[in-house]
Formats: sequence, structure tokens, C-alpha cells
Amino acid sequence: MQGNTKKMGVMTDVHRRFLQLLMTHGVLEECDIKRLQKHCYKVHDCNATIEKLEDFINNINSVLESLYIEIKKGVTEDDGRPIYALVNLATTSISKMASDFAENELDLFRKALELIIDSDTGFASSTNILNLVDQLKGKKMRKKEAEHVLQKFVQNKWLIEKEGEFTLHGRAILEMDQYIRETYPDAVKVCNICRGLLIQGQSCETCGIRMHLPCVAKYFQASSEPHCPHCNDYWPHEVPEVFNPEKERETGLSRSNKRSSRSRQH
Amino acid sequence: MLQEPESGALAIPQAEREMDGSHDGETQALTASPEPAPGPLLQESPQEDLGAVREEGAAEPSLTPKGARALAAKTLARRRACRRLDRTVAELVQFLLLKDRKKSPITRSEMVKYVIGDLKDLFPEIIARAAEHLRYVFGFELKQLDRKHHTYILINKLKPIEDEEEVLRGDGPRLGLLMMILGLIYMKGNSAREAQVWAMLRRLGVRPSKYHFLFGYPKRLIMEDFVQLRYLNYRRVPHTNPPECEFSWGPRSNLETSKMKVLGFVAKLHKKEPQHWPVQYREALADEANRARAGASVRARASTHPW
Repeated sequence: MQGNTKKMGVMTDVHRRFLQLLMTHGVLEECDIKRLQKHCYKVHDCNATIEKLEDFINNINSVLESLYIEIKKGVTEDDGRPIYALVNLATTSISKMASDFAENELDLFRKALELIIDSDTGFASSTNILNLVDQLKGKKMRKKEAEHVLQKFVQNKWLIEKEGEFTLHGRAILEMDQYIRETYPDAVKVCNICRGLLIQGQSCETCGIRMHLPCVAKYFQASSEPHCPHCNDYWPHEVPEVFNPEKERETGLSRSNKRSSRSRQH
Repeated sequence: MLQEPESGALAIPQAEREMDGSHDGETQALTASPEPAPGPLLQESPQEDLGAVREEGAAEPSLTPKGARALAAKTLARRRACRRLDRTVAELVQFLLLKDRKKSPITRSEMVKYVIGDLKDLFPEIIARAAEHLRYVFGFELKQLDRKHHTYILINKLKPIEDEEEVLRGDGPRLGLLMMILGLIYMKGNSAREAQVWAMLRRLGVRPSKYHFLFGYPKRLIMEDFVQLRYLNYRRVPHTNPPECEFSWGPRSNLETSKMKVLGFVAKLHKKEPQHWPVQYREALADEANRARAGASVRARASTHPW
């Protein structure tokens, strides 16, 4: 490659297969992406030492930069598990979904997205979404059909469903971050700690600032008496644990606690 | 990518889009992000242009302020044009990758309509650069299918791996876990108490809330993912105190596998023949017969409704 002012990484079949497979899956958790990397080495270069994942990805990203895409790392909003997706840096639309869904289905997603962003908890109820079915652009959709479409969104990892309510999957947050900030600049919520887009989280009852659950976990990790970083008032919510793949967790229990206190959290 | 001229609207499916070729109304993010390195096939490098411009300036020591301004404006315009070209190439790459996923050939007119716009005259250069990116970065070859109608497809240059999807989706081990559970449910008479499921898994070294290197959090995988994906049904057993819950096969399991297949899986695990369990074997045979009948009636209906 000539005329470059910065050093670009080198692509081999190991990287190409990795990219192709990541594109197929859309989004992958860290344990899966490590397995993917190992698989690609095994197929194309089994004697090479497997490069550290972070460096491996940075190498690929330096090549992807001129294409305005990158492999972006995020964390799930509910328990801080690292996830990776191939994200378009220049888009201001949900174009990636456009190839898999019909016009009325995309509009259903738009409606659900708007309800989710406007909501206090980051969740929109199935009922409220389905009530908007008459307002959809494109071919008329019945409520029963809309239920199936919502399930399609869940299966394709654009939405998550919990007890009849829907929120954004980590993948959607990663891919549509910019689009959401630009389309809903007034309604969008931001985490006080990481300044990232916030859909689910905890909020201070006094001053109203919000934080992601994993950000809360990290920020209050060492304190026995958590206080709001902004107004210093007592932090009234349960502090979740920092994600640690080695440690055992009561995932069922903490989830139900979060659910019951969620209605009071915002 | 497929961008809306007006902000605030989402991309409309390609069949209905009217793309104006100008990309000026677009994201600040692009100007905010660092200037990307020129692509491998960039024929007109901004650095070269700047060099030429500087030389001109040097050869004309008496360049007036007005002349200098005009020169600077020209350089800026040229740089902007290069960036715009780069962006269009990038958008075409993404467009081709997306269209290829649907396995439909892409036509030149689609490319012009949705991506290239008024840079239509530069189509040969744009598509050549896009093709190079697709080859170098992703391992796809852009092939022209039909010279007359200008249709293209992507061919994967990487060698195909058998069962790669299964090995990798992470589904391999997870679906194996699902099979174990479906097997348990079937052998217990089409439903199994939650406690029985966890007892079986514990024997395999899988604990509900302990992060497992293959399954993630098993409890989440089973109680949420498998249930949401309709592989399993989960319901409370009435009249139990303390309340108990049970699993049964979900509709998706009935579609994607069968009693006979699951019985075969269980049999193999125990190194026996399916007939070793006569009750389950008879039930599986009946299920096979039902499926065959249902399949035949669908085919019969299809032959009378040729759509």
C-alpha cells in the first residue's frame, strides 16, 4: 500500500475469515469471539502464535478505517459482558437491518425504538408497541403478525425481551449509537460515568443523573456506602457485581431484584 | 452507507429510495474522525496534489494574495473531492456486502441509484477500488455475471469449511446441551421437572449460575435463550407446594428435530439401540408416521395449488 501516512495492518486469510464470520453473526460475546479467532488460526495458520485479541482486532481495524467501519467492543447493559460487532462508522440510519426486514417491519422497529428511548426504564411493553401497529408505513400489519416480527427482532439480536417488555440488544446499541443520538437528541439518556448512550440503568432520585449497571458496579466497587457522584446523596439502589468470568454468580436472583427495583430506579 | 437526505428519518428499503448524489448533508462524524489513509488504488493522491500545488507556488514567487487564496481553494476542493470518492467507495463496499447476504445479484443501475449518484462517470474507478477492498479485506471476489446487463456477484475466495457454521455459532456446544435436555424430557414422558434437569446437568459438571466456558451462564441460556427461541416450554406445575416448574419441548424443537432423532441421540449416549426403550420407540415411530402423513398432505395440497 503506497502513499500512506500511517502504518496499516496486514490482512491475511486468518483475518479475512474472522471478518466474514463476525459479519455473519452480527454480534458475538467475548468467549465466542475468542473461539472464532482460534478457529481462524487453526484453519489458515495453525503453527502461528495466536495474537492477543485486542491487538488482533486493532490490526484489523486499522485496515477497516478507510472503509469507515470498525470492530467495536461494548458491554451488555444488564451485566457488563463484553460483546463485539462490526459497526458502520458513517451511518445515520438503521441500514443494516434494511436488508433483512420489510418496510413495515422496519417501521415497527422504529416505533419500538422510540418507545424504548422515551421510557423511564428503558423497556417498552409489548402492548404499547402492538397498539401502534395501525400507524405503520407500508403493508398493513395485524397485531398477531407484529408479535412474530418482534420475536424476529429478538432472534436477530436487535431487541431483548424480558417478561413481555422489550429493550435494545447490546448489538443495536453498538450499531445505532450515532443514529439514536442524532435522531432523538432530546430524549436520549447518557451515562454519567462513561458518557455512553444509556437505555437501561440506575438513576439518582435527587439529581436525576443516570449510570449503566456495569458502570455502577465498577464505580462503587470498593465503597461500603455508595454516594451519587454528582450530588453526593446516598445512592439508593442495589449495586451489582462487576462481571468476572471466573466467578460464580446468582444470575437468577440478582435479575429478579433488579426487575422489582427497576420501576423505582428512574 | 444508505443515507437519508433529511435527518431524523431511517433508511427506507432500497426499492423505494431516491438517493440524491450529493453527500454534503451528511454526518459530522466523518469530518470529525481522523483523515483516513488513502485506499490502495487511490490514483490521485492528495499528497501528490499538494506537492504539485506547492511547486507551482514556489515557481511563482510573486504569487498575489488573491492568487494564493485561489490556489488554496482549489486544493481544498480537490481534497474534498478525494474524500468524497473514498466515502463512495466505502459505501459501495458495504452495499455490495449487504446485497450479497441476500444472495441476489447486484446490478450496476442499483449501485448507481443507491450509492454512486452523480459520480456516475467515475463508476469504473469506484467499482475497481471497491473490488480491491473486497478482495484484500474480506476475501471476496467481485465478478461480473453478465456483461450485457451489468450484474455482479461476490464469490468467496476463502476455502469452505465443512460444518463451520455449527462449529462456530457457539451453537455447537449449546445445541448439544439442548439435545441433552430434550432427551431427558422425552425419556421422562415429554416433561421433566426443573430439578431433574439441573440434577442431570450437575452430573455433567454444569452448574446453573457458574459461568461455563462453552455455555456462558447455563441458567440464562436455558431459562431465557432456549425458552425465548421456543426450543423449550417452561411452566409452573399446578398444585405443587412448594411450587415446581417443568420443561417440555417447545414448538421449534418439534420443527427442527424429532422424537426419533432425539431417541437416537440418547441411545448412542448409552451405547444401546433405540429399541431398548420400547415405549419411547413406539411413540417415536408413531411420531414419524404422523410427520410422513403431514408431509404427504402438504405435498398433495401443493400440487393442486401451483404457486
